[in-house]
Amino acid sequence: MSASDDQAAVERVLAGDISAFEEIVRRWQGPLVNLAYRFCRDRGRSEEMAQEAFLRAYRGLAKWRKEAAFSTWLFALATNFYRSELRRIPAHTVSIDDVREPVDPRASDGGLEDHDRDRAVRRAVSTLPDKYREAMILFYFHEMDVPAAARSLGLPEGTFKARLFRGREMLRGKIPQLLAVPRLKEA
Amino acid sequence: MTDERKMEDTEMDHILSRKDEIVPSSGFAVSVMEAVRQEAAAPPPIAFPWKRALPGLLLAGLAIIAVIVGGTAVFIQASRAVSAANMPVAPAPLVVTGSQNGPVMWTGLAVLIAFVSFKFSMRLAGGRG
Repeated sequence: MSASDDQAAVERVLAGDISAFEEIVRRWQGPLVNLAYRFCRDRGRSEEMAQEAFLRAYRGLAKWRKEAAFSTWLFALATNFYRSELRRIPAHTVSIDDVREPVDPRASDGGLEDHDRDRAVRRAVSTLPDKYREAMILFYFHEMDVPAAARSLGLPEGTFKARLFRGREMLRGKIPQLLAVPRLKEA
Repeated sequence: MTDERKMEDTEMDHILSRKDEIVPSSGFAVSVMEAVRQEAAAPPPIAFPWKRALPGLLLAGLAIIAVIVGGTAVFIQASRAVSAANMPVAPAPLVVTGSQNGPVMWTGLAVLIAFVSFKFSMRLAGGRG
């Protein structure tokens, strides 16, 4: 399904063919659920949030101006909703102090496994203040595409880059050992 | 940027870019479409009855303006009375003495507004006057 397919489906929905919306749902369910998951780290809640995002998209289809790709509009709408939802009911986060760390993270015989380290870094991201956390989530969700991530957040690229930079700085300060350690399996 | 920092950034990118994806449950799309169909089948929301509400809103606006204008006039009158008497007294007590008919007039106006608003709301709710 391409961008033109999205547009065709939207036009059919607007003409009254509700079933055409299913094409949109099937096409974008994976990205929308995963984006929600990156915000809340809860599978059940991410599906609920994605469903509500689709409903909002359905209600607001006529507002899509077609200047940007449908996906850009959809991600911006979903991101906006996820952010407000997470502010309303914050995700359960673990304090960075609770993240298990090795006694000597450089030790090759007993450090964190990659999986544990990844989880610790992701948890550290979840403890960042909202605006930095959101910038980091969107940056990696969009595979490090700054313009796409900035559009999803509705921010100028410069502002987005500044938030990303600050977020990375804060993250670096929270988990210096985890980032400095060479990956154990490769060591 | 130092080499160490570059390595940290690369490591951070490596960790956070790693695919950590979930697959939506099999019934997700069906569930969304069910919600969408319910939404489409629901009657459109009732529009705010501007035509009916407009007279009431206008009346309320006029009443507020009248209170402000009346209050200001009484306050100015009271201030002048204080100046005339050359007494350093707060204007509030003089509002009462400013005019003998003042309280009666305001009470009457309040009762009238309450009555009109009651009749109007009854008419809106029950469709009868």
